[in-house]
Amino acid sequence: MQLFSKTTIDFLSKRGTLVWVSLVLNVIGIVAPFALGLRFGIDFAGGTEIAVQLNAENKVAEIRAAVDEAKLIGAEIKSYGAANQYLIRIPATSYSQDPTSAVVSAIKEAFPGETVNLLKKDSIGPKVGEELRSKALLAVILAVIAIGIYIAFRFEFLYGVGAAIALLHDVLVTLAMVTVFSSLGIINLEINQAMIAAFLTVVGFSVNDTVIIFDRIRENRELHKGMNLIKLMNLSINETLSRTVNTVMTVVLVLFTLVLLGGEVLQGFAFTMLVGIVTGAYSSIYIASSFVVWFMEKIQHKGIQAEYDKQKAPAKA
Amino acid sequence: MKNKQLRRWLLILGPLVAAAVILWPTVDAYLLEQEESQALHQVLHGKDSTAFKAFENAKGERYRTAKMNRVKLGLDLRGGMYVMMEVAVDTLLRETAARETIDETFEAVMKATHAQAESSGDDYLDVFHANFDRIARPKGKSLISYFDVPGVQDVTDEKVKERLREDVDGAIDQALEVIRQRIDKFGVSEPNITKQGSRRIVLELPGVNNEKEMRQLLSTTARLEFKLVRNNADIVKALYRIDAYLAKSNGGSKTDTAIAAVDSTAKDSVKKDTTAVAAKSDKKKKDTSAVAADTSKKDTSKTASADSADPYKGLKDEEKAKRYQKDHELTSLIQVFPLDQEGRFISKDGNPSYFFNESQVPELEYVMYIPSKLYAKFMSILDRADIKKLIPSDLQLLRSAKPEFVSKDLKDTTFAMWCVLRNAELTGEYVTDARASSDPMTNLPVVMMEMDQEGAEKWADVTGKNIKKKVAIVLDDQVYSAPVVQNKIAGGSSQITGMDSPEEARLLEIVLKAGALKAPVKIVEERVVGPSLGEDSIRRGLMGMGIAFLLVVLFMGLYYSTAGMVANLAVILNVLLILAILTPLVISGGGTLTLPGIAGIILTIGMAVDANILVFERIREEMLRGRGFRNAVDEGFSKALSAIVDSNVTTFLTGLILFLLGTGPVQGFALTLMIGIVTTFFTAIVVSRAMIELMMSNGKEINFGQPTTMA
Repeated sequence: MQLFSKTTIDFLSKRGTLVWVSLVLNVIGIVAPFALGLRFGIDFAGGTEIAVQLNAENKVAEIRAAVDEAKLIGAEIKSYGAANQYLIRIPATSYSQDPTSAVVSAIKEAFPGETVNLLKKDSIGPKVGEELRSKALLAVILAVIAIGIYIAFRFEFLYGVGAAIALLHDVLVTLAMVTVFSSLGIINLEINQAMIAAFLTVVGFSVNDTVIIFDRIRENRELHKGMNLIKLMNLSINETLSRTVNTVMTVVLVLFTLVLLGGEVLQGFAFTMLVGIVTGAYSSIYIASSFVVWFMEKIQHKGIQAEYDKQKAPAKA
Repeated sequence: MKNKQLRRWLLILGPLVAAAVILWPTVDAYLLEQEESQALHQVLHGKDSTAFKAFENAKGERYRTAKMNRVKLGLDLRGGMYVMMEVAVDTLLRETAARETIDETFEAVMKATHAQAESSGDDYLDVFHANFDRIARPKGKSLISYFDVPGVQDVTDEKVKERLREDVDGAIDQALEVIRQRIDKFGVSEPNITKQGSRRIVLELPGVNNEKEMRQLLSTTARLEFKLVRNNADIVKALYRIDAYLAKSNGGSKTDTAIAAVDSTAKDSVKKDTTAVAAKSDKKKKDTSAVAADTSKKDTSKTASADSADPYKGLKDEEKAKRYQKDHELTSLIQVFPLDQEGRFISKDGNPSYFFNESQVPELEYVMYIPSKLYAKFMSILDRADIKKLIPSDLQLLRSAKPEFVSKDLKDTTFAMWCVLRNAELTGEYVTDARASSDPMTNLPVVMMEMDQEGAEKWADVTGKNIKKKVAIVLDDQVYSAPVVQNKIAGGSSQITGMDSPEEARLLEIVLKAGALKAPVKIVEERVVGPSLGEDSIRRGLMGMGIAFLLVVLFMGLYYSTAGMVANLAVILNVLLILAILTPLVISGGGTLTLPGIAGIILTIGMAVDANILVFERIREEMLRGRGFRNAVDEGFSKALSAIVDSNVTTFLTGLILFLLGTGPVQGFALTLMIGIVTTFFTAIVVSRAMIELMMSNGKEINFGQPTTMA
């Protein structure tokens, strides 16, 4: 079976428009978290999160009333997985003692005769949350830097920068998507530790495609000495297209299934990775190489585009 | 050629067998678990009452071994233990206050603070300051009346407040750290240790179902102190003084039947336990071993120094013993042995000494024992406010952590009692390291203890002043060891000998290491939680993963045909290998298998085939370029290698960063991801290649799913 026969797509000619699209998405990635606000998970926000299972289904409003009655200010209640499972989150500021028993007894009072089955409980102090938050940020920054350095060593410096920029692009676009989807309420996307793990995996994984393309560019440069860089890049991207698509395909298959079936815990994680990895494939094709060409054109004034156009014109005629 | 074939088979089958061997206990444990619950079911439903016993006899040992060696699942998959611990800020405040300044006013403040903080859960120090302002200040006291700030000249109340805050925060952080280290050493993987509020520590320990062992471990993370032993006549006299006081307040008669009843049971226990003492010979006290003692029969007049002082003269032995015990409510609970100058037992017949009153107690060193059953009663008497006054305030009675004697049927144990100076000479915070080993010369167990600069100086001072005296190593108010100071120890490096076994030395090592706590920590809440996520959520997660796996397998088979199936086999081996590598890591405390961990494995499946895709695509490409089949395969593998290396190194790097900076479940994910990358390398390149080579060994070509009509 084969999805792509030998392709000759002129990827880099579209870079002008696509870079703008990417820039817009990146700006959203920077602005949206501030404008729309990030929903931090319990491990970053601090507080107590209790998941309970009752016999009664769809009683979020009733539980909310019961918890309000217990004077736990700012408590959030929503359904958790199944219709008879509920997640109650109480910010750390509204209690001084473990609020679990208060919540459970409040629910029991509101639903006489109910058995309240505690599914899980997470209590995280605000100080710890803050610590985890800064550690997570540090992890993402470190990962981008470490990978950038590795690529810079393995390839030429400029390519390393290109790969790092593509990575930053992926993180920001993913962040934009996560924020927008989260605020639209389509999917439960809280910034928690698992989400950070997803972001880091995106960083580690999406660079794979970039590496494969750069690897091929390096190989082809030896094979076709003196070939115009844009032509060389297009050739390399085309040659590796089938694997780029297939490798992403297998991971997308996995992640898509996890989004649909993974349950409450893995859903957000899988969604983030899905967005990140598709973006990663796109940025490997359009952004990483485009940056190298752009840099050589605009900063080093190598006139690659002009040379490419000149070579291309007679072929079209 | 044949050799090459064999090597390929080995490459494929070797790892498979190794993985199977490592993973077998997991499967075995699962199967036996089913069997056990079935046996239990039969017993519970009255079908076969011997089923469980039969299972236990036949397979119990195997089941336990298998359980120990299986892959351990995280809190989210199998539940675990939840513990809440509290740092005793009140003890810290008492310790910090200059001892001689503590007065009624201070006690009043502490009492009010304790009651208020316990009920409200407010910050302990804030409550303390509020109460101090309310109670102590009107009496003209200020914080500097009680607290000093070392190294600061113009001490003000503000500075004291600052210092106390630092101390409290420091104590909690320290407790947190010590607990974290202990848990790590215990081999709990992915523990979740967090501070809660101002003085609480929450532990979430996945997979820990041995609550008792864990509780013991956690309660040993308490305060270590070095206290001077004062097992001399002072304490024995004090005990006899209490006896006299009790006898007087009881009227010295047999009016109180309730007490008499308690006493008679106590007497019985004494009888039994003394036999127990005699039953076990102790090296240090050889002369006691020969004795078959019977307290009730013992003639008290024999041990009493002067017959003339015997108030029970002329009574029958039995009656005498009864009366003696009645009049010596406290001391008849314990056994007191005087020692001579060399520290040997004076008592020739091995019987403990009994005196009529404190004036008979000679100025000697003593050893005291108490049967464990009587300990609570003994302490409840000593804790009475009116009785506390009768013991010199600088002395404190503690019991040994481990029983000194154990009766044959293991039912009765006897503890040693130690009288120590209440004020510790040194606390465990100065101990930087401790290590159990054995003396190369004598082969006897020793424990080496290291102290920091400050501690070393204090230690030199303490040991210099107390040569040939005993220093008790006290953890959590229990004496673990009381070595005799041989000489002045300068430089902070001490050697402790005299342990009976390497296990005892090892325990002392743990105790010394655990001791670096400024304030004691106690467990205030403890729960064993069921699976913290709904069963439903877990099932759905696993199902999603299963389907994802099938989809990938299907895709590979369809797209790359025969070669795709090779990749699929390699992926299955890969998953087995990841689990197999994870198993020993988990056992040694590397991490449990969590839901995110399984996600990591599934993700690895997606990425493992990537490496195969890279190779297969390259082979197809080379074939397209017109290379021969054999040639294309060789080129494909070698040329794809650099891309595979590069892409895997980057993912590994992120995994490593995640593992180092992440906590709990995230670490589980990072761990499986990293292991997965390493195994992928092996399975996707080495094993798949071996398989492909085997398949084309007779010059056969295999299908890489390439289109039949080549462009």
